[in-house]
Amino acid sequence: MKLAVFFSDWRRTEETFDRLKADKLGVILVENGIYHAVVREGGKESPVLSKAGATFYALTDDVETRGFTAANISSKVKLVSYADIVDLIMNDYEKTAWL
Amino acid sequence: MAELTIGAFPSLVGSMSLDFAFKLAETAMVKGHKVNFWLSGNAVMMAKKGQKAFKDYSHLEKRMKEMIAKGIEITVCEACAEARGYHKEDVPEGMKRASMDWYLAKTVKTDRLLHIGGE
Repeated sequence: MKLAVFFSDWRRTEETFDRLKADKLGVILVENGIYHAVVREGGKESPVLSKAGATFYALTDDVETRGFTAANISSKVKLVSYADIVDLIMNDYEKTAWL
Repeated sequence: MAELTIGAFPSLVGSMSLDFAFKLAETAMVKGHKVNFWLSGNAVMMAKKGQKAFKDYSHLEKRMKEMIAKGIEITVCEACAEARGYHKEDVPEGMKRASMDWYLAKTVKTDRLLHIGGE
């Protein structure tokens, strides 16, 4: 299964996330979920970004709304637009989950 | 063209997810996809016409009407609306009310489903 997981908040959801398994996994950071791409607590990246084999995306609008730029984003994360997210849902992943 | 069904439960005020859902739906339509939109739980706040647009509050009624005019199918959970005091006469033009069966039927036949839970 090709699964796209949306993170919309900074709240801790790794327990659920850890249990998710997919042949292809995409993590799309939106709304306050984009903080997973920029915050380094104690110098460490968010545990979300340590998911093995996953591809990470963050919505540019939500990144910029919160005062960040591409320079603040983890190198693991690709910035995407709403149009890109539609294409990811329609072309790259079969199922979605919202955490 | 493919079919995307979005089920949204978050409220209009106090949550960013409903704004996200509308922007995503609008973008999908622009890209030529058919979009079905189910509003349930506190998202049925959209089932009240005549909402005033304040500067610092989310206001989606105008955008929703424009999207309905372009062919999006927006349906609200009838029971959720009635439970919150929103009646048939309150519904904005073009919006439908139905039972959960409508959403379930869409989830079975749609190409892609995005279910956005509530608060």
